[in-house]
Amino acid sequence: MTVQRQYTLPNCNLVLEGLSADANDPLSPMSVLMNVECQLPGATDVTLTGGREFLEHLIAAVNHYAQQILSGITRPSAQTGEVPLPIAMKPGDGPYHHLIVRQQGLEERPQDTDAMAPLDVKLSTVQFYDLVEAIDQLLSDSQTLPDLQPQFQAISRRLVKPAEPVAKRMAPAAIGAAALAAAGLSLFFLPPPEFEPAGSTEQSEDVANPDVPLSSEGPETSEAMTPGAGSEDGISPTSRLDDNGLADAVAGLERLVDAPTITDVGVLAVLQRDLDRRLEANWSADPVPDEDWTYRVAVAENGDILGYKYQDRAALENVETTPLSRLAFVPVDDTEPVQEPVAQFQVSFTPEGEVDVVPWGETAAALASEPADGDIEARDDDESQDIGAEASGSDDEGAAGSGNTAVAEGTLPDLRSPITDAETIRTLNSTLYDSILTDLEPLSANEVLEYQVRVTDTGDIVGYEPLNAAGLLLVDETPLPQLVTSAGGNADQADYRVVFTENGVLEVSPWDGWPD
Amino acid sequence: MLESLGTPDLPIDECPRRARMQIDLLLLAIEALDLGGGEAMLATSQELALDRIVKGRVHLWLLRSSNPMRRYSQRRPMSLDEAKALAIIICNLSRRLTVLIRQLLLGHQQLVEKQLSFDHHFRLANYLERFRSHFRSRMNPRRAGVIAYSTDEKLDELAIQLLEKLLICSGVLGTQRLWTSLFDGEVV
Repeated sequence: MTVQRQYTLPNCNLVLEGLSADANDPLSPMSVLMNVECQLPGATDVTLTGGREFLEHLIAAVNHYAQQILSGITRPSAQTGEVPLPIAMKPGDGPYHHLIVRQQGLEERPQDTDAMAPLDVKLSTVQFYDLVEAIDQLLSDSQTLPDLQPQFQAISRRLVKPAEPVAKRMAPAAIGAAALAAAGLSLFFLPPPEFEPAGSTEQSEDVANPDVPLSSEGPETSEAMTPGAGSEDGISPTSRLDDNGLADAVAGLERLVDAPTITDVGVLAVLQRDLDRRLEANWSADPVPDEDWTYRVAVAENGDILGYKYQDRAALENVETTPLSRLAFVPVDDTEPVQEPVAQFQVSFTPEGEVDVVPWGETAAALASEPADGDIEARDDDESQDIGAEASGSDDEGAAGSGNTAVAEGTLPDLRSPITDAETIRTLNSTLYDSILTDLEPLSANEVLEYQVRVTDTGDIVGYEPLNAAGLLLVDETPLPQLVTSAGGNADQADYRVVFTENGVLEVSPWDGWPD
Repeated sequence: MLESLGTPDLPIDECPRRARMQIDLLLLAIEALDLGGGEAMLATSQELALDRIVKGRVHLWLLRSSNPMRRYSQRRPMSLDEAKALAIIICNLSRRLTVLIRQLLLGHQQLVEKQLSFDHHFRLANYLERFRSHFRSRMNPRRAGVIAYSTDEKLDELAIQLLEKLLICSGVLGTQRLWTSLFDGEVV
């Protein structure tokens, strides 16, 4: 029995004629296709017609193009060899798209195919969408050609064409190689440097301004290269601090040369804490180092580890036992220089099995002036921030909190004189619980907020440190910032774990567990 | 509903960077189209019983902040289930907004044809302006991905592209189409 199915949309009319599987059952699906007609009123007066093959080509072309619009990634054409596909879609100028139909599918007259120019239908986005929708309705209709199923597949990584031509991508590498050759040639005429055992003073000078060579390409950097290049292994103590040593980066630090530096102290503090926590969580401390293994690590603003470099021989030999290689973000294209702002940290894996993270250049005198800049910048940001419709109210406050209460909030230093008396610890626990509860208002969080809170023996809160991201962001909803007093001085102190659960329950417990 | 979307063959079991950006931008466009868009996202997640995955306002915000372009970008990963839930919400909301989206795209096409500025179409101008202000207030202007959209023209272009994407999302197979497209160039 002949059946007809029609999919009608404002700008597309798709009509299928075929035979149903069971002639006696009116509800049986159409299983054999005889003819397809596709009209695109408004775009063309020609009615596109064809058989099963035409329909399949149409579906393939439309799917291919629609996925390309959605992902914005150019998909490789399914075309094989020289013969162009009977139906293809191409982007047009501005809001237009082109449906190109070569005629062999239209009429069953193969002798004419070469003579006829391909039909080019210009579709607006809305017209194209109607064509997509008609096809989607057909594909999801189990009553028509049940063997035609929607099949979407993401394209594989290796099929994606790089956005830039090879010549452009190779240019930075070629320039680098040329510069290296030129430097090598000019340094050839310089006498090899004499080794001075008392080089430690020079080293500390180098440490004092680690950021300067990163951005500058002044003549002193090429001079600094000589000791490293002259030594046998390239990782001697002299070369480890010079900036051209970046070329030996273990994992792509050379891409970071042009990256701007993060100066916002709040952001730095968050990144430092995050890095410390992730490294500690992922490090098994096996084997235990017998000296500090020190690395220089670059971190993006979102916390991704973008690169790292060993700072001494021990660190190089043991790099595989640290979590750095596992945690580092491996870019798709590692020749592309990083443009996003990065923060650099010095990471040490200590013999005690701990991970120390300090901002790179912490030892530098430059630090004294930097926090002030950071503060100003953070404040500017907050002012320009427009409070959006979503929960961004809390994120503003979170960021302001991290900048302004930097003294009270942030990484707590080790306790100098901890309170050991069991009774005092218990009393302080309940005092702390009561003082937080008095000021506690309902929190908007539906995640647990965790803090480490430091209290003096008189019950004054002297500082706190958020232990998770939600805790950091929503700290201003908790009473903690208001409760901090600068009093305390040299008094004995104790740490407590303060948790606000997602149901609004407050939990306070001694940091080192309840005393016996 | 989540099962209807397949699991892509990814090297790691979390949502890739581009997908996180794409999801957040599409949600941003929905907010610019519909003043109550933010509320509608939460309401939709409850209607579709997705609130066990998208657990309310702060969680939705944390998920959206996994977009690396954001000012307060979170390093928090986005799981595939969370991405599926957001893709379903996007498609559901775009289906409700189909009529408006079609009007705006039609208006855009006519204005381009006549070489007129977008101010001649009140609703389109309104959408573009809201999109620009949302984008600027939430994205980190120092990020390379954001610097590319520093001018009004570039942002308008992005807003129109997102509108085209939302239109395709609104179709019967929109969710599958969007979901697959998120992993273009990411699967192994």
